[in-house]
Amino acid sequence: MIKVNPKIKVYRFNHEMEFPHYDTFEVEPHPGMTVLGALFQIQEKYDDSLAFRYSCRGAVCGTCAMLINKVPRLACRSQVEDLLKDKVPETVTDEDISRADEDISWNPEEEVLVEPLPHLPVIRDLVVDMDLFFQYYRLVEPTFRPAGPDPEKERLMDPGAVKELGVYANCILCGACHAACPVVGENPEYLGPAALAKLYRFYIDPREEEGDSRLEKGDILNGWWACESYGDCYRVCPRNVPPIVAIRQAINQLNKRK
Amino acid sequence: MIHHHDVIIIGGGLTGLRAALQIKDAGLDGAVISKVHPLRSHSVAAQGGMNASLGNVEGEGGVKDSWKNHAYDTVKGSDYLADQDAVELMCREAPRTVIELEHMGTVWSRLENGKIAQRPFGGAGFPRTCYAADRTGHNALHTLYENMVGREIPVYEEFYLTSLVIDEGRCVGCTALDIMTGEVHGFQARAVLLATGGFGRIYDRSTNALINTGEGASLALEAGAQLKDMEFVQFHPTTLYGTNILITEGARGEGGILLNKDEKRFMEGYAPRTRDLAARDVISRAMEQEIAEGRAYPGGYLYLDLRHLGPDKIRERLPGIRQIAMDFAGVDPIEEKIPVQPGQHYSMGGVDVGMGGATSIPGLYAAGECACISVHGANRLGGNSLLETVVFGRLVADKIIEDVSSINFTEEGPIKTAMINMDIKIGDILGREEGENLFQIREAMTRTMSQGFGILREKQEMQESLQEIKKLQKQLPRVSLQNSKRELNQALVRFLELEGMLLLSEAVARSAIAREESRGSHFRTDYPGRDDVKFLKHTLIDLKDDEMRVSYKPVKLGMFELEERVY
Repeated sequence: MIKVNPKIKVYRFNHEMEFPHYDTFEVEPHPGMTVLGALFQIQEKYDDSLAFRYSCRGAVCGTCAMLINKVPRLACRSQVEDLLKDKVPETVTDEDISRADEDISWNPEEEVLVEPLPHLPVIRDLVVDMDLFFQYYRLVEPTFRPAGPDPEKERLMDPGAVKELGVYANCILCGACHAACPVVGENPEYLGPAALAKLYRFYIDPREEEGDSRLEKGDILNGWWACESYGDCYRVCPRNVPPIVAIRQAINQLNKRK
Repeated sequence: MIHHHDVIIIGGGLTGLRAALQIKDAGLDGAVISKVHPLRSHSVAAQGGMNASLGNVEGEGGVKDSWKNHAYDTVKGSDYLADQDAVELMCREAPRTVIELEHMGTVWSRLENGKIAQRPFGGAGFPRTCYAADRTGHNALHTLYENMVGREIPVYEEFYLTSLVIDEGRCVGCTALDIMTGEVHGFQARAVLLATGGFGRIYDRSTNALINTGEGASLALEAGAQLKDMEFVQFHPTTLYGTNILITEGARGEGGILLNKDEKRFMEGYAPRTRDLAARDVISRAMEQEIAEGRAYPGGYLYLDLRHLGPDKIRERLPGIRQIAMDFAGVDPIEEKIPVQPGQHYSMGGVDVGMGGATSIPGLYAAGECACISVHGANRLGGNSLLETVVFGRLVADKIIEDVSSINFTEEGPIKTAMINMDIKIGDILGREEGENLFQIREAMTRTMSQGFGILREKQEMQESLQEIKKLQKQLPRVSLQNSKRELNQALVRFLELEGMLLLSEAVARSAIAREESRGSHFRTDYPGRDDVKFLKHTLIDLKDDEMRVSYKPVKLGMFELEERVY
């Protein structure tokens, strides 16, 4: 149990401000309190103008990704106590993540630093504009294109193929990988790991027509080829989706054919 | 700003998106309004699966499943309160609905022979539940959204429904708050479909997403439509202790068992035949009794044990559950038991609609969890809600397509008036300098509803709880918010949500008090038996001059005879 009440240091911004600033709130802890829970406590007890997105609070809808202690993660899945002890979830190793923002000081023993996802414009406080992220998603044409006309019943699928497909179909489009990717930070026109993982999901779907049209969709300067294999996408993914593997596989396929 | 579309669909979950695709394919101009990005809808959290008598897996003794078996289980599960014509329709349509999703791209789990896999679920006589691991809702919702993108169907994202516009008795559109800008928009349509989901957040322990506040149902009631069977609220047996995040019934379908403090498989005493796979209401009541009689752990939880399934089965079939247990309870189900307790899960009641999804207001339709058609009656079977969303998303869209052919757009006047009125109302809310605290009222409501209208109900406590809800309603006009800005004011949205939830709370309360019997999820300790003579009927609620009135209408029987419900 936490002895001192933890503090949440939150990024604040709205369009009336010239510059963003940080507000620090002391929250009353309870066992298992998540960052999302702490943000609700702030909104309900101290400042109802604090803005953040939320929905399922169970790490399945992908709404509440934000930068927590400089790592993009789901607020609902991040426990305040673990963050204070710096006991980050096993899939995320703090040191591995490239940090996009300038340094801001915080005391990791007492405070949790909560900021909006990098690489996307801030609308207010922790709410970012996801338009660009979803534009790239739409750009890869993420709609199933079956090989032939629909049969009367289901198309048969090998359980093994379903398993592989499931790895990528699990993506919840939370944007954590997009925010973690150093390439996205430098090149805003890069489609990014989420869109490319989605594209790969359709490429490997055995029910789609065999051929290279899906591969070719990403065969552009800002597609597969822009990835520099940092691997931060996989490290921050709350669903263990490995966009880096998808991108490397796609590049291997393209190299084979060239 | 006023937008014009043939059909406005409110809600971007499975029902709303399935309807939108159908409307687009019929050549009509439909648009979706959603208070969150559609992929953030609560449908995404559905775990276990979708029932359909595909017969891909044989039942005991090599018997093949059929839609009639599915219908029988559904009607029995409903404690005979479901309308049997609607159940028949849903169960007949089920196989083609699962296959239709497959054709659109859903990655269903498969059997070795390549067909869609099916597993046993509570209250079902056959392994009937099709699934995509334990992320069925996620897979289905992403599929439908991907098809929306392919068809370029417009979505008004992060728009909060503020009113339904009725002109000369007909629904001609709605108003909605653009949450980002704080501006009220008008929507003119030839038909409006409500697909806003359930209202679980009127309770404090709920598996529902935080956004499930039921505004579709409350605004329909205000607009003059009726609510039906609101007393029937499902409590799911296995929600994670602490956060009440759902642990799918599929976990028990795969062989998981419930244990009390004495390590006893207590369901053997309550449902000797089906044990941990009895219907949800039966198990939740048994758990409540174990808790009341001191056979639970301090704080009121029991254990769900999956360890005997082995690591492979848990990893393959229940990966999401394992993740949830590890993330939110620090427990790996491969090695430890999962602490669980019952929690609010589903709203069987909703806007009263006929077979085509039409409400009593011409031009206004409802489908999915926000509606009551009624296929779930007094208790819903697991795997039937995802089914309902997609079946009736499509069928109600078909009915709308048929109906609107004779309907033209009328003048904009009523929409403009509604926009002005809503703008004044919002200005008034934001303008209040000092007053009551919104969040305290909300907390009092959720606590009151759990106390008075939980798993076990009794007259006196219910009446006291209703009085408390009435008191909270009266406090609402005096609430003031700190944030008086229009742009992205979440306190304002939460105020509007609370306004609707207090209305729905009252509807649940009045319906529950009036039903002096026990049926399905509605259990009265003062009336423990089912009373078919007096209460084999649907409860209706309507609102006139700020007064709620309870009335009844008959249940449609026909296919199956009434039986005592034993599991």
